[in-house]
Formats: sequence, structure tokens, C-alpha cells
Amino acid sequence: MVEYLLGVGILAAVYAINALSLNLQVGVTGLLNFGQVAFVGIGAYSVAILDSHDVPWIVGFLVGAVLAGAAGALVGRLGRTLASDYWAIATLALAELVRLVALNQDGFTGGAQGLSAVSGIWTGMSTTAREAATFATIVVVLGIAYLVARRVRNGQYGRVLVLIRENPDLAASLRHNVVSAKVRVMALSAVMASVCGGFYAMYISFIGPGQLLPFATFLIFTMVVVGGLGNTTGAVVGAVLITVLYDGTRFVRDWIDVSADQAAGIRILVIGVVLLGFLLVRTEGLVPEKVKAAHARR
Amino acid sequence: MLVVEGIKKHFAGIAALDGASIEVRAGESVGLVGPNGSGKSTALNCCSGFERPDAGRVLLLGKDVTGKEPWDVAKLGLVRTFQHANLPTKMSVMDLMLAGGHLVRGETIRHSLVSWKRVREEEADAVDKAWSILERIKLDKLAGHPGGKLSGGQQKLLSLGMALMGDPKILMLDEPTAGVNPSLRVELAEHLRKLQTEGVTLLTVEHDMRFISDVCDRVYVLDRGAIIASCAPAELSDHPEVLEAYLGRSGSRAVVESADRRTLS
Repeated sequence: MVEYLLGVGILAAVYAINALSLNLQVGVTGLLNFGQVAFVGIGAYSVAILDSHDVPWIVGFLVGAVLAGAAGALVGRLGRTLASDYWAIATLALAELVRLVALNQDGFTGGAQGLSAVSGIWTGMSTTAREAATFATIVVVLGIAYLVARRVRNGQYGRVLVLIRENPDLAASLRHNVVSAKVRVMALSAVMASVCGGFYAMYISFIGPGQLLPFATFLIFTMVVVGGLGNTTGAVVGAVLITVLYDGTRFVRDWIDVSADQAAGIRILVIGVVLLGFLLVRTEGLVPEKVKAAHARR
Repeated sequence: MLVVEGIKKHFAGIAALDGASIEVRAGESVGLVGPNGSGKSTALNCCSGFERPDAGRVLLLGKDVTGKEPWDVAKLGLVRTFQHANLPTKMSVMDLMLAGGHLVRGETIRHSLVSWKRVREEEADAVDKAWSILERIKLDKLAGHPGGKLSGGQQKLLSLGMALMGDPKILMLDEPTAGVNPSLRVELAEHLRKLQTEGVTLLTVEHDMRFISDVCDRVYVLDRGAIIASCAPAELSDHPEVLEAYLGRSGSRAVVESADRRTLS
């Protein structure tokens, strides 16, 4: 039981890093990135591929972060010429591109089989202790990601990003370089997502193209929407709740007599219903974005 | 300060600007008037980098800024406001004021993560400045209020305040009185006059002629994308072509005549 809880905890923390990243893009800046899983995939594959060549995991994380950051900046740059809705479609295409490369570059990525036996962290420990140590490590990383996201959101940069979301022309008229602001937030978010991907691959010791399907992005969208678009704390709250829900529905077959395929379908259906429900009934999420109080006079 | 030389701008074959030239000298307050569709907003957009003119040049402080990005034009000291303020409801008045400032350090990810102390100092200075501007435009009591929930007139005032956060050399105002109640209109005119005495150059696009004569030293009249008159506000009625541009529209004879005139020219 403890191990199961630790497992869910690790997944929730890994997803929370991803949700913080997506919240910076969608919630704060209003950039509808439907291809978030591409950045996760870049991070996960970097760690997994380098691990299979016995390179220390930290190098895999660094390589993944650099590659994802560059990809993020590039995608952000596309926003210069594309209107926001077309940009959203382009991000979806990017995610499919990453998935298809992963699927077809057999020699490199293991093709459809993916890469298994990715070694995790704290390999020297016994099972439960190792899970606990992994959980602690990822919670620390999540803490750092949370502080970074919060600091960015609450500073001048975050203010400019929100203004870009709400009224980009106004932001541009007040000498804020809208293109550069978007490029930088995309790069930062992509780095965060790649870290999530690296831990994900290490924790489940596997990464394959099947995990880079668009659903992986929409799962994170659900977390951010449920938590509250634009609220940093909300992203973490949403990630924990949706991870528990999504993981908990694995036991659907214990309650009702359905086939494995049907059960998988039901799990996705539940997530879809929750997402729709929140979008219709409680758009602002559980922890809504706040209007900050005015700074006191000196 | 600002020199616009023969700018042209076409939208789908229709000439919004057809070789308009404008000059605004430092410290002047200039009005830009004209009937609906005469190209006033397009001219403003071309000057502030929101539209790229098809032909002609825009010079700001002697620098060619034709086709430059809006933020690059703004960095040179030209800040504009918009006809519809459309301020966000998710940002407080104070937040919006700070967003109007240029906090060099706080705007980079690196500095906002690493140099906390300097970022804090920079922000504290901006907060001081924001308070003094808010007091001046009498919005200080609403500092914690969501900007988008203010009245139309207050939003216009706040837009002006946000623009002032960046110490603009020239302010371009797009219909500052649209949707503003009469008493606030008077107040706005006073603010603009005061700003002018402080050395801010002003270019105001406006329909309200009384406001124009209160605020501007000189007006340009734009009709069908071309400047048809430039004079002091009080002398506008001496120009028959101005009256025709405004009033002649309704009479079909005038429209035919002006169409003829255009064909001939």
C-alpha cells in the first residue's frame, strides 16, 4: 500500500512539473500549446537514449533541457507569423512530428517498442526505500519548479505575459517585445516539461511513442483547467487531483465487468468528462487566478 | 519630433492613406481630425508601428522608424493609446500601471530568478512612480481594483497613466474622449495641457471639436487619406473644404462633385 501511494505521489509530482509548465504557457500567457507532449518526449528520450549508452542521467537531463528549450523557442517564434489558433494547430503538428520520429528512428529510439530498462535514480536502494527517495527527490525538483513558476508569474515578466494574453497590442504599445516574451516563456516551459519527461522515463523505466499521443497533452490540460488557469498553485492542485483520479480508475475492472480495452477507454472518458464539466461549469477552476492587491505605499 | 512624409496605405484596393504628410514639432499639441473612414486611425497605426505603410516615411526624432515593430517605436519614446481601452479584468490598476513601466531587470527570466534584491528595488521605485501618477489622475483609491472593471472613462485615464509610466516623449491618443463622460472630459483636457507644459509632445485623434480646441495648438484635417487643411482649431470654419468633408457627405451632389474632383486630380 505504501508503495502504491508513493508511486501515485511520484506520478503526481512528475505531472505537476508538467502542469506548471503548461500553465505558464496556456494559463499565464494564453498560448494554446496542444503539443506539450513534444517537449516531454524530447526530455524523456534524451534521458532514455543516453542512459542506454551508459551516460550519467544528469547529462541526459541537460541534453534534454537544451534540446527542448531550443524547440520551445522555435515554436514560440512561429507565433510571430501565425495567428493564435493556427499556432495551436502547429503545436499539435510538432507533437506528432516528435512522435513519428520516435516511432521510425528504430536504431536510435527503439521504434515502436520504445526504450525499456531505463535505469532510475537511487538504484542502490531496496524497493520501498528507493521509492521514498525517488519521491523525495522529485518533490524537491517540483518545489524548485514551483518557485521558478511563481517568481516568473509574480514579477514584471509575469505581468507583461498576462497583459500579452489579455491585450497584446496594449503590451506592444508599452514597449514590451511581444515576440521575445513569448519565445522566452516557451523556452522556459519547454525546459520544465523536458525535466518532467526525464523523470517520467526514469520512474516507469520506459519511454515509447505510445506515450507521446495527444492524450498525454490533454491530460495535462485537464489538470491545469481543473486547478485554475493562470494560478501556479492551482496547477499543482489540479495535477495531484487528476493523477489520483486517472490512476485510481485503473481499478475500474474490479468494480465493473469490462475488457481491458474498454477499461482504458473508460479511464480516458472520465478525464474527458471532468475537463468538459469544468470548462462548462467552473471555468476558473478550483484555485482561480487572483487579481493581486495593490502594493503598499512607502 | 515626428515627421510623416507622404505615407500611403491600401487595404484590399481601398486607399486608407493616400500620401498624407504630418509634422509635429517638439512640445506641440497637434490634433488630427477628419470624418469617419478618413484614415486617422491608420495614420496613427502607421506612426506607432502597428501598420506598415505601403509608401512614405515616418521619422521619429530624426530616426526612420517606418515599418519598425511597435515596441521598438515605443522604446524611442512614442507611446500611443487606443480608442477602446479594453483593460484586462484579471489585472489590478496597480499591476497595469507597473506593466506600463519598463522594469529592465524584472522583465528577464534570469534576473527575476537570480537578482531578487535589485529586482525588488527596481519594482519599489516603479511602485512609487505609479502611486504618484495614480494620485495625479485621481485613481489612487482604486489601485487594487481590477482595471477592466473601471468605467470607460476611468479606463481611458488609466491608459494614459500607464503610458506615462514609461516617460514618453510623444504621446499619441486615439479618440481619448470616446465613451468618457463630460466632466471627466474636462479633467482629461486639463491633464493633457499640463503634460504639454511638462514637455510632452501630443498628437490627438479626436471627433470632439471642443476637446480639440481645448487641447490642441494646431490641427490637421484628414479626408480620404490626404491632409486637406492644417490650421489653428479656431480657424477650421474658415476652410470650405473642411466643411465639405464633414457636411458634404450627406448630400449626394457633394459626393458626386468630390468624386469628380478626385478623378480630375
